[in-house]
Amino acid sequence: MKKSSIILIVIIAIAIAMIMVIYTDSSTYSTFTEAKEKKTELYVVGVLNKEKELFYDPVKDANHFSFYMYDNDSTECKVVFNGSKPQDIERSEQIVLTGKMEGDVFRATKILMKCPSKYNQDEVEVIETTAYLDYK
Amino acid sequence: MDVNYVGENLLPGKIGQFFVVLSFVAALLSFISYFFATQNPTEKSWKTLGRVGFWLNTLSVVVIGSVLFYIIYNHLFEYHYAFAHSDEQLPTHYIISSFWEGQEGSFWLWMFWQNVLGVVLVWRAKSWESPVMTFVMLCQTFLASMLLGVEVFGSRIGSSPFILLRDALEAPIFFDPNYLSMIRPRGLNALLQNYWMVIHPPTLFLGFASMIVPFAYAAAGLWQRRYREWLNPGLPWALFAVMILGTGIIMGSFWAYEALNFGGFWAWDPVENVSIIPWFTLIAAVHVILAFKHSGHGFFTATLLSLVSFVLVIYASYLTRSGILGETSVHSFTSLGMSGQLILFNLTFLVIMIGLLVWRRKEMPSTQKEEDIYSREFWMFIGALVLTVACVQMIATTSIPVFNTLFGTKVAPPIDPIAHFNQFQGAFAVVILLVTGFTQFLKYKKTEPKRFWAATLATLLVALLLSAAVVYFTKLYTNLMYILITFTSIYCILVNGRVLADAIQGKWKLTGSAVSHIGFALLVLGALIAAATNEVISINESGYIGVKNFGKEGDKFTDPGENLFLTEGEPVQMGDYKITYVGDSVAPPNVYYHIKYEKIDEESGKVKEQFVLSPFAQNNPDMGGLIGTPATKHYLTHDIYTLITAASLDSQAPANDGEKTGYEEYDEPATYEVNIGDTLRYRNGVFVIEGINRNAHLQNLPLAPEDVIVGLKIKVISAEGKEFPVEPIYLLKSGTVYDFNKDVVEQGLRFRFTNIYPQRDKLEVMVYQKPLPEKKWIVFKAIKFPYINFFWSGTIIMTIGFLMAIYRRVKEARSSSRSL
Repeated sequence: MKKSSIILIVIIAIAIAMIMVIYTDSSTYSTFTEAKEKKTELYVVGVLNKEKELFYDPVKDANHFSFYMYDNDSTECKVVFNGSKPQDIERSEQIVLTGKMEGDVFRATKILMKCPSKYNQDEVEVIETTAYLDYK
Repeated sequence: MDVNYVGENLLPGKIGQFFVVLSFVAALLSFISYFFATQNPTEKSWKTLGRVGFWLNTLSVVVIGSVLFYIIYNHLFEYHYAFAHSDEQLPTHYIISSFWEGQEGSFWLWMFWQNVLGVVLVWRAKSWESPVMTFVMLCQTFLASMLLGVEVFGSRIGSSPFILLRDALEAPIFFDPNYLSMIRPRGLNALLQNYWMVIHPPTLFLGFASMIVPFAYAAAGLWQRRYREWLNPGLPWALFAVMILGTGIIMGSFWAYEALNFGGFWAWDPVENVSIIPWFTLIAAVHVILAFKHSGHGFFTATLLSLVSFVLVIYASYLTRSGILGETSVHSFTSLGMSGQLILFNLTFLVIMIGLLVWRRKEMPSTQKEEDIYSREFWMFIGALVLTVACVQMIATTSIPVFNTLFGTKVAPPIDPIAHFNQFQGAFAVVILLVTGFTQFLKYKKTEPKRFWAATLATLLVALLLSAAVVYFTKLYTNLMYILITFTSIYCILVNGRVLADAIQGKWKLTGSAVSHIGFALLVLGALIAAATNEVISINESGYIGVKNFGKEGDKFTDPGENLFLTEGEPVQMGDYKITYVGDSVAPPNVYYHIKYEKIDEESGKVKEQFVLSPFAQNNPDMGGLIGTPATKHYLTHDIYTLITAASLDSQAPANDGEKTGYEEYDEPATYEVNIGDTLRYRNGVFVIEGINRNAHLQNLPLAPEDVIVGLKIKVISAEGKEFPVEPIYLLKSGTVYDFNKDVVEQGLRFRFTNIYPQRDKLEVMVYQKPLPEKKWIVFKAIKFPYINFFWSGTIIMTIGFLMAIYRRVKEARSSSRSL
């Protein structure tokens, strides 16, 4: 057998092993209920509860931001983020949290948001809809 | 429905759309003609027709670009592209950035570069022109189709940059003929309003575009059975593509570091990964091409890697443009509904690659002789394979959303992508750097093992000592992987430095590779040190009570936060620096927050060093509020990076100068019954009732003898020890009580002397206080990046090395084509 073929086989074996490791390293998107059971760090996908207060008072603590979120099973949970408030969270239409459950509070280490705002192709912002402006 | 719209300028769009269609037709014509020119080389007219098509296509692309620029520059918001990517406030130099904010503009950029490369090929490629241009123009045809925006059989092909706003969107406002005067353009993403965004995309796209050339040469070589020949002209092109793409990627990284707020220069974001993958495979290709040229081994691998690099470029383009990355990436384009077209583009080139390789599998040059372990080509081959495996890892993780779509699974990417990628790519980096090091001591074909080991071990020893020192001083010893990377990159630098020293004494040929290897090793070392040892220096410990940490260390959920709160004018000690938020200034649309850093000598108390950083933020409600842009102080050995993460609202709101009268600015008053000599408190100090002034008088007020007018002497003493005398007045005129209030404006106080109770011997005072003006504050984050300059200088050195190598290979290719 040629040396190069042996090496090729070794490399392919490494590649396959690696891909298997990647998929054990990957996780799944879960819910607050699962987070409560597992107690490990995971992803939770959901939407912001816009009716409840988003609490961020930098004067008191610049690294504490809390809000309420519904996960995909519509379970509501309080989320505490150890950092400053993400800039456009009020406008988010979907939130992906990374973190784990501590008691009844979800401690988030990362917040990723999907925002419609600028990228919504079907939205025209109109300066004034009612009044007719005089055209120069 | 017919509406006569007011103020629209429709001519540029019509011209633009005409040339969009022309560019597609011309590219298609050129592709077909070049194809037949290759099949029938005797018939000259095919080649001429191919060139005509190419020039027509080039002309169209230039016109499309000019018209689009005209539309954006003149704020013709009736066009969707101008509406979506610019506004009237946009400074002229950023109009260029808005050009490629959208997908259409970036496709245009790709086409434009392909035209520039095409001009060089038509001019210089000689016998290679027809087959190479066949592939280039096939790619150009696909790109041109992305801009078509024409409906065929009910489905739209491409997305035209010249589509009108009222055709692109549906909204009731378009029933109004005057709609143009009422719309507000969306403007350019604040993050793209950065000078690096003017230069980074064109460089990156030139890199992507130039990867078609090695592909085309490799494919043409297989097609025309010119197996060994294609490597000579193909190699300098591959080097060029690698150089430009590498520069473009690092420019993007520099932009991220200077303008983005994630606090770093590389985040293993899918968009970054997909641009670095083809870069790796083409670097691997370059090395295998060289190995083949010197030893005859590895033709198949060299060709496969050259071909697959461009297929991966298209795959990258598919991932970023189809919207499939969705929630895994922060910055990809949104879908324009072109994923079908992109998949077709991708599959076409994949099929060409596989088809050609299978078709010519029996004819490809190969040697039966086995390569020696003590030979350079063997280890170049191994290095290339390791690079490829590194790519496989990146593709596998980055493509998780694609697999989810394909197989309907719901696998989430790793929780912490940075750790995930570092773990793998760190290991690959160690192997690559080690191989790049010792392979320099090997010769092509066969080396004397004794000499090799002597040279290798000697350098290894020096590298060991040096890296021990580096690891000690940069405090990298906590992590085995860090130590290994430091050691191997220093080893790689040393070995290649030796080659360089030899080269200067005579073997000039090797300088290019030595210089770019040194650059690469420096880049890795700089990235490692900066990424591994950067520390957030704005740790907010003050806001926490000791118990909150429960004494646990390293728990990221309870560690003190990374954001620091600063009030205007109140200095805070942060590590070595005393920092003060000294104020802000507004340059619409940005607010600059000035933060003064002072390093104070502990003994003498003198300021050793001071500087002001002014990170800015843009309050853009469309973009969801405050968007911070960092400011960085660059030192030779480290950087101090500062970013605003929140700020008090009033510095963002326009100053309210409207005069207010009356009491609405004051809080609810406090009423006191006092005696002379009483001392009372207010928020910022005390006031003393000093006495009664019976001789008080009021101007312009005639008094009758029975009227009573009394002043109450009060002395206000603020917390700072300042004194303010004040005297409110009580008046009893014709049986009616009046009082005249007096203010101490500096302290936000207002006093009323409202009553006198002679029976109880009391005086009644009402005190109004303004709520304390909220001081301006900011929340910010500061990070120290040590030795990041290695990262940037490594990039520059690597680019210089590539330039030298290109120079050498172009000369070689010319002399070899002359000798043929």
